[in-house]
Amino acid sequence: MYNTRVRGVLIKGNKSFADVSRDIIKPMDDKTPMWWWVTAFLATGALFWGVWGFYNTISTGIGEWGLNNNVAWGWAIINFVWWIGIGHAGTAFSIFLLILRQKWRTSINRAAEAMTIFAVMAAGLFPLIHMGRIWDGFFIFPYWNTRGPLWDNFNSPLFWDVVAISTYLMASFVFWYMGMIPDFATIRERTASKMKKKIYGILSFGWIGNAKGWLRFETAALLLGGMAAPLVVSVHSIVSMDFSVSVVPGWHTTIFPPYFVIGAIFSGFGMVLTLMIILRKLYKFKDYVTDGHLDAIARILTFISLIMGTAYLTELFMAWYSGNEYELFTFMKNRVTGEYTFAYWTMLTCNALIPQLFWFKKIRKNITIVFIISIFINIGMWFERYVIVVTSLSKDFLPSTWATYEPTITEISIFVGTLGLFLLGVLMFFRFVPTIAISEVKSVLKETTTLKSFTDE
Amino acid sequence: MNNKNIIGIYDDQDVLLNALDELMENGVKIKDVYSPIPLHGVFEKLHLKTRLPYATFIYGAIGTITVFMFLYWTSVVSYPLKFGGKPLNTLSFIIIMFVLTIFVGTFFTFLTYFIREKMYPGKQVELPIPETTNDKFAVIIQKDVTMTEDDVKKVNSLLQKTGAVEIKETE
Repeated sequence: MYNTRVRGVLIKGNKSFADVSRDIIKPMDDKTPMWWWVTAFLATGALFWGVWGFYNTISTGIGEWGLNNNVAWGWAIINFVWWIGIGHAGTAFSIFLLILRQKWRTSINRAAEAMTIFAVMAAGLFPLIHMGRIWDGFFIFPYWNTRGPLWDNFNSPLFWDVVAISTYLMASFVFWYMGMIPDFATIRERTASKMKKKIYGILSFGWIGNAKGWLRFETAALLLGGMAAPLVVSVHSIVSMDFSVSVVPGWHTTIFPPYFVIGAIFSGFGMVLTLMIILRKLYKFKDYVTDGHLDAIARILTFISLIMGTAYLTELFMAWYSGNEYELFTFMKNRVTGEYTFAYWTMLTCNALIPQLFWFKKIRKNITIVFIISIFINIGMWFERYVIVVTSLSKDFLPSTWATYEPTITEISIFVGTLGLFLLGVLMFFRFVPTIAISEVKSVLKETTTLKSFTDE
Repeated sequence: MNNKNIIGIYDDQDVLLNALDELMENGVKIKDVYSPIPLHGVFEKLHLKTRLPYATFIYGAIGTITVFMFLYWTSVVSYPLKFGGKPLNTLSFIIIMFVLTIFVGTFFTFLTYFIREKMYPGKQVELPIPETTNDKFAVIIQKDVTMTEDDVKKVNSLLQKTGAVEIKETE
């Protein structure tokens, strides 16, 4: 039972069901705002620059990148892991908070899931392009071939990665789309425009919202959610195994799977916080995404940040405790001190220290500061992947093979391009899809908006 | 079969649930309930059940077995190739089996849902009360040929009494 005396009112403004539909659909009916066009223009520009980088890489080869024999993985894998991490928030939000019966997720889950899908799409580009010969990409699938048939190595984390990420993309999309069907039907029945009626009619699959339909819908959503929940854990565990099954110092640790999963959820929540602050400002959704919602996300981030800090310290401790001099060198001479000091300390500050400011209520209440901290988290998580990939590879066992790595303009352009792709996706989502799950908000509306007294129980 | 219905429209979920109780106590047969949100009370009162979870379980089980058979066949039967001294039939198959079980389960559950609901992109539907996708709740009661004027009146007055904001009859 949700006690409004204790938890506060979830949706402000004493809304009726009709108000909820009207408020959430309003931005879709309004004229496209100026900020949308400006951002879309910038995002398209970024995307085009990324396409140039893509073309450059494909037509010339991986030599366009700053990689060398030692640092064979650079920005591509860093960005890949970063995007996948961001892509973890949607399902984490929808599913973990669903299991934990957190009603406040209903205002946020739709946006978080949309973010997941675009982030995973952006992430998927990197392994593709990293193949160099993208036209041979189908080699990754176990198909019947004339070489034996010679099958994939099913023991390789790189193969698991492909399976896990495509499954994750499919499952998140299906879950997201399923949730939108009743909302599309709401738009279909509400709109006066013939065009919209037709489009949302097609998208709503003929939803009528009768008792049996809702029962099957709820059951299906729960089943899809239940199945996607282990994926949240498994996808990033598998990504971490790309690193941890190798013998490279700094990677070869058993802490990697949980450390990566937590990091992914951390960065995902960070990005959700960034986006929700923007969304509620632009669309005046402050009654739906209240300060209480942001406060809840900030509290979760504080907790996850503590786990991140613990993970960083554990890594350092294990480097020393294992007695392995290569590990110790990587951590102490190449991360904490040495050439990559800046990256390491940026990571530590942004991920483990700055979010601790959320302990103070004053800071959690100040949305500008919360927004800035959320940006720091996004940056910090990028640096974490940078530290992991580059420091370990650049100085390994044999000093004669040590090498440095710097990204080229092509690599940077591809990263900026994926930022553009993500942003464009989010903009499309903002414009054409109800950004808050209308039917889900309605279903928690009644019990969470009226202020009950203690005697009511 | 005739499609004449009496529709009672409510605008609150709790009023609707109480109304359902009262209607059923008086022997009125409820054909369907349209609502903007899922109502567990309605599922219970109308004794609705779904077998979707069983279907999902079967899909998952088939997925696990098929994937294992495929992995076993490729790695042990078709082209046995040693990787890193590991056995041909290795424990690491579990990871692919696990993920693809979810893949198969998710995908086919999604499909089954639409097949059972007879929903597809572009399906044209006519809602008895279009506002049920927004803020109204509608109770549909079939008006049988055997119903006398008095029965209809009784249903109408019951709907009225239980707080229906509007009562409609459709052909």
